[in-house]
Amino acid sequence: MSYFLLFFSAAIVNNFVLSYFLGICPFVGVSKKVSSAVSMGLAVTFVMLITAVVTWLIYHLLLVPFELEILEYVSFILVIASLVQLVEMFIRKVSKPLYDTLGIFLPLITTNCAILGLALFSVLRDYSFGESVVFGLGAGAGFTLALVIMAGIREELELAPIPKYFQGAAITMIVAGGLALAFMGFAGMI
Amino acid sequence: MSKLSLPARMILVLTLITVMSGGILAGWDIYTKPKVAYHREQALKKAIGEVLPAHDSYEVRETDAGTLYIGKRDSIEQPIGIAFMAIGSGFQGQLRIMVGLNPDLTQLTGIKVLEQIETPGLGTKIVIDPSNKENVYWFPDQFKGIQTSPEIVVVKNAKPSTNYEVQGITGATISSIAVANILNAQIATVQSILETSQKVEG
Amino acid sequence: MSTSTSLNTEFVKGLWKENPVLASLLGLCPTLAVTNAAMNGLAMGLATTFVLLMSSMMISALRNFIPHQVRIAGYIVIIATFVTVADRFLAAFLPEISATLGPYIPLIVVNCLILGRQEAFSSRNGIGRSLIDSLGMGLGFIFVLVVLGIIREILGSGSIFGFAVMGDWFTPWMVMILPPGAFLTLGLLIALANWYNDPSSLSEIRIKQ
Repeated sequence: MSYFLLFFSAAIVNNFVLSYFLGICPFVGVSKKVSSAVSMGLAVTFVMLITAVVTWLIYHLLLVPFELEILEYVSFILVIASLVQLVEMFIRKVSKPLYDTLGIFLPLITTNCAILGLALFSVLRDYSFGESVVFGLGAGAGFTLALVIMAGIREELELAPIPKYFQGAAITMIVAGGLALAFMGFAGMI
Repeated sequence: MSKLSLPARMILVLTLITVMSGGILAGWDIYTKPKVAYHREQALKKAIGEVLPAHDSYEVRETDAGTLYIGKRDSIEQPIGIAFMAIGSGFQGQLRIMVGLNPDLTQLTGIKVLEQIETPGLGTKIVIDPSNKENVYWFPDQFKGIQTSPEIVVVKNAKPSTNYEVQGITGATISSIAVANILNAQIATVQSILETSQKVEG
Repeated sequence: MSTSTSLNTEFVKGLWKENPVLASLLGLCPTLAVTNAAMNGLAMGLATTFVLLMSSMMISALRNFIPHQVRIAGYIVIIATFVTVADRFLAAFLPEISATLGPYIPLIVVNCLILGRQEAFSSRNGIGRSLIDSLGMGLGFIFVLVVLGIIREILGSGSIFGFAVMGDWFTPWMVMILPPGAFLTLGLLIALANWYNDPSSLSEIRIKQ
């Protein structure tokens, strides 16, 4: 598949959040401000990019030649955990305000299904190095997009009279359902 | 244990945990690997069995166009058919189709869609169509005997009039056309490879 | 955590009051992804519970040995190990389920539920109590997955666990087995749980404990 189609597919048609249910935790818990959503999305995309590169290298240059595929999950998650730790330290040095905004969600990127999911899909579909990188970028872009749209909607919902029991997670899920329905319209475009 | 410095303890504990993990996984790997391979082999055998005419065994041949499975019958020297995987984009995701053809690749002997994530109830009819009371497998079945030249064509709203046309699924045009496109592409690739390396030897 | 909390309380809390999905919103990824059929939800729940039990056991046993600073890394390796074991088990002995659940089994590694339990409970309690806590949480998780799976399967395919229960008159609501249906059903389920837990609603009807 051409790189453009791959990117478009990962970002829109088969959006990680709305089609594969990856990255739901931050999606639900994300601050209701669009600006934080953008920061979170960018941080995740950054981690995804590096993850795509490092996990591809580890899998194809280390695990496969030595027939150690059974170590796939253990090695991948260790890579991700270390990367997030490094990114956390990096952001703290480079931009303290950004670090404070993201707060607890930064270390939580480790348990973001989207990152591990990205690495796993890449192996499952046997992507080349280039395809992995583009896939990572597309996945990150899609995640950011979904997050930003959701944050925008939730900003509006602040002013809406939501029934008592639907407040919080319930209404977020229902809105997500609407979003997922909308994104289904992209199917068949490629 | 508490006499060791913190860094030493951290390293020791992490090392122990990873060694334990490695041990458990290595043992489990040795135990389960043959079983997993067996299942994969069985699934492949089943798929090839469904797309090729009756055969006793198949030879696995790696080529530049991918892996070819050449079906043979014990009593006959010539192969009875060639099967291979055709992969491409469907409506929602990737389609993986096992296709069988006669030895000179002019006619299909069958197809089987192994993997798809098409729209349930519509695109999934390329695998099975429970709404068709006569034959739930009507879509894949119509590929048997279809000619590969000029190329497989999907027709809508009309009955196929030539032996290289197949009926599309109403409401799942893109899925139907995707199947034809994927087949045409891979068949062409395999045809060109085999042309350059002479006819398939028995 | 009071040491006088009975084992029964530790067990029961995971089933409803502190239900991992409905109360704490943990493990949403698999909850939405594999509940398009009741059987898939059950299989995923069982696999997750297995990993939860095994890792709780090991982490609780090692809790006094693992230095605080490296505890997360240690927990992660242990959890990932058992997830690999479960995934391989399915691939070797139940290949059809393995194929259906696909990449969502390895995603158990990042299921916040498991890491959460280790951090909050197993690292501070004995093996026995940790197992009870994990069992309760695991069953609570299975409960939500199966309920969600049954609802989506009935409305989306007209069956339960593969057995057709709706007659020919019923046209399946395709959306239920697709992502939007998952989100909608979970949202409604959470709202329902909120209503049920609210002491001010129908308090005369509900039996007080």
